[in-house]
Amino acid sequence: MPNLDAILPGRRRNRRALGLVLLIALVPPMALWALTVGSSQIAPGMWFDALMHPDGSREHIVLLDIRLPRMLAGLLVGAQLAVAGAIMQAVTANPLASPGLLGINAGAAFAVVLALAFTSIDASGSLVWFAFGGAGVAGGCVYALGSIGRGGATPLKLALAGAVLTAFLTSVTTSLLLLDQGTLDNLRLWAAGSLMGRSLATVAELAPYGLAGLACALAAARPIMTLSLGGDVASTVGQNVVRWRLLAGLLVVVLAGSAVALAGPVGFVGLVVPHAARMLVGADYRWIMAYSAPLGALLVLVADAGIRWLVGIDLPVGITMALLGSPVFIALARRRSGMMR
Amino acid sequence: MNRGLALLALLVVIAAALSLSWGDNGLAPQDIVAALRGDPIAAIILGTVRAPRVATALLVGACLGVAGAITQAVMRNPLAEPGLLGINSGASLGVALLVIGAEGAVGHLMPLAGFAGAAVAATAIYVLAWRGGTSSIRLILVGIGIGAATGAVTSLLTVFGDIRDVQRALAWMAGSIYNADWTKLGWLAVWSLPALAITWCLARDLDLSAFDDDVSCALGLPLQAMRAALIALCTLLAGASVAAAGPISFVGLLAPQLVRGLSSRHAVRLPAAALCGALLLGGADLVGRLVQLPAGLLTPVIGVPFVGLLLWRRRND
Repeated sequence: MPNLDAILPGRRRNRRALGLVLLIALVPPMALWALTVGSSQIAPGMWFDALMHPDGSREHIVLLDIRLPRMLAGLLVGAQLAVAGAIMQAVTANPLASPGLLGINAGAAFAVVLALAFTSIDASGSLVWFAFGGAGVAGGCVYALGSIGRGGATPLKLALAGAVLTAFLTSVTTSLLLLDQGTLDNLRLWAAGSLMGRSLATVAELAPYGLAGLACALAAARPIMTLSLGGDVASTVGQNVVRWRLLAGLLVVVLAGSAVALAGPVGFVGLVVPHAARMLVGADYRWIMAYSAPLGALLVLVADAGIRWLVGIDLPVGITMALLGSPVFIALARRRSGMMR
Repeated sequence: MNRGLALLALLVVIAAALSLSWGDNGLAPQDIVAALRGDPIAAIILGTVRAPRVATALLVGACLGVAGAITQAVMRNPLAEPGLLGINSGASLGVALLVIGAEGAVGHLMPLAGFAGAAVAATAIYVLAWRGGTSSIRLILVGIGIGAATGAVTSLLTVFGDIRDVQRALAWMAGSIYNADWTKLGWLAVWSLPALAITWCLARDLDLSAFDDDVSCALGLPLQAMRAALIALCTLLAGASVAAAGPISFVGLLAPQLVRGLSSRHAVRLPAAALCGALLLGGADLVGRLVQLPAGLLTPVIGVPFVGLLLWRRRND
């Protein structure tokens, strides 16, 4: 396997590592800031008290039961979706690949709604398996639908296939919700993609899947980078391309599926963050994936808390992300459409 | 007369007849004849409920079929259709704004709001895809982006709206023909019939736009002007049908695809797509009445497997 580290000038590598450390160091203060944002004023120092000696006061309950799980969910969901998007863009060599656009989020969300409507399961630890199943099936369908015909899976065909499947799943999900107003009222927040109302228990149940997925993704960063050079190059340098593509797909399913089980279908994180990371560190997917995790966590955290802080309304983060992300998508489509046929 | 066209027309007539007689109150063929002779009960059921509903379903289906045929010719892509390109979601946003934002009864304004939303979305797509001219790929991708943005604003409204308003808006947004009446049908006809006629007159230009941009220009097609005019017609047709029946997806995608084999000339393809669209939506409405779901939720369920099949059969094109 080619060792890029040996070729790259050492100073550039150091600068990338320094940037990564800075980004990771930025996460804790932003997370603490997010804990202070909300309708009731809570002094920044209070969180320490609340963690060490919870006394059951209103402030401590708000911090521990509402803001802490919300903050943790934001960090997890952001990092997971961003890394999932980076993996997809690397493996498909496709600038538009991301869990939201290719129907994976919609598939996971549909499977969860299906489980809630027709079974008595409501523990997140069991629902997440439905999310995995839905994400896997939807991703497989979109890839199959998008790679039919000459030229294989081009960005344009994949994006259209994703839009087709999302339209289908959304309409079936809407049918389910229309037939049952109780479910509609419970689920409309979650279906828009939201961090509201997660309990610490839910976060704790789903975090292991997400953290394991992130760890595996970073451990597999090197083979994934090799995949990003194209199937021909990867097999020339001795990689088992089929096995690593399947493993990468599995990682995407775990990362995106558990993120959807936690926060509903949040779009555009997986599209925008890897592009931002690429602007910072260039085309090496090991660095893109490493940067994507803290960048995605920060983006979702700031999008969620920032809107509350700026305008004072509690907007579901899925909507904020779509409003922020769709202009970026349109700009990408305008700039790079020449290579997407 | 093309034999395929005649067969499609016959199928549409059969679907219409079935649709007229089927329902909570079954009407045998002799009841329909009795209604025509002046039997009051049968006449009320037919005249105020069934006939406008069936006519609306057929006309909306025809509009969608033709709008899809235009989109697929202009974008040169079999998966392109107004529903996937943000035009329908623009219309949904218009209606959601009206239903959730405005106080009181606004039912009669809903079609207008849907139409305005579709027009704004189509204009935005065209303007944003413009970069020293348009290209079909940019139009499709920008359309998907606009669809996501308008969809986000719509869900923003559904999250904060009153649950009863939200359910009313969602029912319309699911696409349904259940509350059709003669007035709405009249408006639909006023908007769509001229547009259908103009599109048919442009059939030759649609034939030419199947070639590459360079070839079309060399053959003397004023390409950008033509594209703008065709997209305007498509918006008119899609907007009028969304206004009448809510956003109904996949009819515009399937109808032109199903009749592609009939002829390579749009002079035949357009009427065939119209008939096929009418058949699809008429059928979906009929089935939807039986299983108590809006037609717009059934068309994707029929549509997606068909899309897979069509793509598979055309994989070597």
